[in-house]
Amino acid sequence: MIGRLIRRKAGGQDAGSIVVDGARKATGGKAKNRVLMTMAVFFGLYVTIAGRLVYLGYQDPESSGAPPSRITTSRPDIVDRNGELLATDIKTASLYAEPRHIVDADEAIEKLSTVLPEIDYEQTYHKLKSGAGFVWLQRQLTPKQQNDIMQLGVPGIGFRTEKRRFYPSGSTSAYIVGLTNIDNQGISGMEKYIDGQGLTDLQLSGLADPKDLAPVKLSIDLRVQHIVHDEITTALQKYQAIAAGAVVLNVKTGEVLAMASVPDFDPNNPYNAQDKDRLNRMSAGLYEMGSTIKSFTTAMALDSGKVNMDSRFDATRPITIGRQTIRDFHGKGRVLTVPEVFIYSSNIGSAREADVVGIEGHREFLHRMGILERMKTELPEVARPTEPKVWKKVHSITIAFGHGMSTTPLQTAVGAAALMNGGYLMPPTFLTRSEDKAMQEATRVVSEKTSENMRYLYRLNAEKGSGKRAEVPGYRVGGKTGTAEKVVNGRYSKDKRFNAFLAAFPMDDPQYIVLSIVDEPKPERPGIGATAGLNAAPIVANIIRRSAAMLGVKPDFSHETDAKLVSLE
Amino acid sequence: MFRTSDIVLIGVMVAAAAMTYTIKRNAEVQVAAVHKLRAQIHTEEDTIDLLKADWSLLTQPARLQKLTELYRPQLELEPVGARQIVGFDQLPPQALTIENLTAEKFDIAPDDGLLAGQDPIATGGIQ
Repeated sequence: MIGRLIRRKAGGQDAGSIVVDGARKATGGKAKNRVLMTMAVFFGLYVTIAGRLVYLGYQDPESSGAPPSRITTSRPDIVDRNGELLATDIKTASLYAEPRHIVDADEAIEKLSTVLPEIDYEQTYHKLKSGAGFVWLQRQLTPKQQNDIMQLGVPGIGFRTEKRRFYPSGSTSAYIVGLTNIDNQGISGMEKYIDGQGLTDLQLSGLADPKDLAPVKLSIDLRVQHIVHDEITTALQKYQAIAAGAVVLNVKTGEVLAMASVPDFDPNNPYNAQDKDRLNRMSAGLYEMGSTIKSFTTAMALDSGKVNMDSRFDATRPITIGRQTIRDFHGKGRVLTVPEVFIYSSNIGSAREADVVGIEGHREFLHRMGILERMKTELPEVARPTEPKVWKKVHSITIAFGHGMSTTPLQTAVGAAALMNGGYLMPPTFLTRSEDKAMQEATRVVSEKTSENMRYLYRLNAEKGSGKRAEVPGYRVGGKTGTAEKVVNGRYSKDKRFNAFLAAFPMDDPQYIVLSIVDEPKPERPGIGATAGLNAAPIVANIIRRSAAMLGVKPDFSHETDAKLVSLE
Repeated sequence: MFRTSDIVLIGVMVAAAAMTYTIKRNAEVQVAAVHKLRAQIHTEEDTIDLLKADWSLLTQPARLQKLTELYRPQLELEPVGARQIVGFDQLPPQALTIENLTAEKFDIAPDDGLLAGQDPIATGGIQ
């Protein structure tokens, strides 16, 4: 057959050489023009089609139907040290509508409002009548609402599941756990820390399978965290303060068991999280810590070896330096021993203690204790302490009793832990850490002997000094008050105070540091003062009373003179 | 025209086709079942996540505190005091009673529950 074709083709050519020649002459070359014209028409047609294709290829397709599901990345759960959930991913359904497919907008809204009573009738009506391809009606429904809406059988509406971060504990652990943004990326607190630990890379490479992500275990104990949060919330109202906060720190491991600061926000509805007063004051707030710093001054003097517990300091007269005069709040007007300087919280005595060590020694000691260094911990919200650029004599004197430099309350607690645990400074952590591991990271900052003396002084101050209201029967609390006057317009104000109480318990073998702060408290009742002993110390006492059993501290009454347990009754 | 071998081969072919169809059909049914199960597992997993969140919401210390405060008068609830927590070494020796002495005599263990460290009190709900 192929052969036949070839033969015919060959024959045609032979004939064509004669016929075509004749035809061309007959039509005067019109046939060629026609062919060319046809070619041009078809060419133009195909060019138009190709051009249109390219044009459409660049065009975004008109949105019809629901947009593709937003891929929200999975995050690991965050749990407390006992495995209680602090943050988790839950799937929520969001309701959308396709107005083009809605048959009767009025009926649809009517039906929907039986399940979603808070739906805005007018707004929703306009949405449904807009003729758009897709509109959101309600985000993040509960499973029950979703089921109810499905039962209504309204045409033209549908659901999209979205992952959402959920914080069961709400505001209780808000500052520690932190927040995520709409794309499920950590923006504050431990959520941000987790992202920095390689989660973001994992998510970008698409390997973050929710099943493979092990929960992140924090050092927080939710029960203690609640107690701390509850107590400071109560205190904020009781003393009409502008802020309050507290931290419970394990002395031997550097773990933060609980830390809270009010006012705070609800991480499930963080509309006010960016407000100016919403700040984790424990780690990101800088304060002149006041007399609590005398713990460090005393420890420094004792550790220098130039002072012992029997050394005496003249506190008869105020110290005048430059234009400033240093007076005592509870002035005794006599020569005081080291324990007396501590329990009467003598500014003059503390200044003299610092004087013994010298300006450079004083500065070096506070840096060594980490009070003036930027704290290294997992939490991203950490403030950098401030100190005078050049230390002069006057600075050393005021810093001896906690004025003239600012640090964060958490750092003060960490420094105090080093004074209590035998002299080992360990960076605070929000993740679980064993004692051995903590010791590897620890550095010795003061001697065992100094630590022992400081424990004695803390206990003494709670028994006889300003910390009496922090006493909890059975739990051997020791501590130091701090009532600092706040700087208002460059001057120390008489009626605006920042109060703190730095405590440790049980004092025979300190396990925990509890530090509470109250910013600008008012007197509880008119007529009584608003010093730290009256507001910050009771907070600590309440926290210890309620949480000691959970923290595993056994009550011991053997040091007390009260009657012992007599019968099983 | 048809030879026996042809008929046999046609028969084999039809049988093979029928078998292939059955296998394919079965596989489809199985795949559908697997999909269904997967979807079910998925739903269950989501439900578990949700229930876990719900559980932790219901056992929040803040909520429990509110409940205890609410039912405090009815249930006569009081916070545990430091004096109520003691170790075994701090317990005074148990006072001797007639029952103890007689029990010893007749070789009956006095109050098994207490010795085994169990709580002898049974709440109404616990059988």
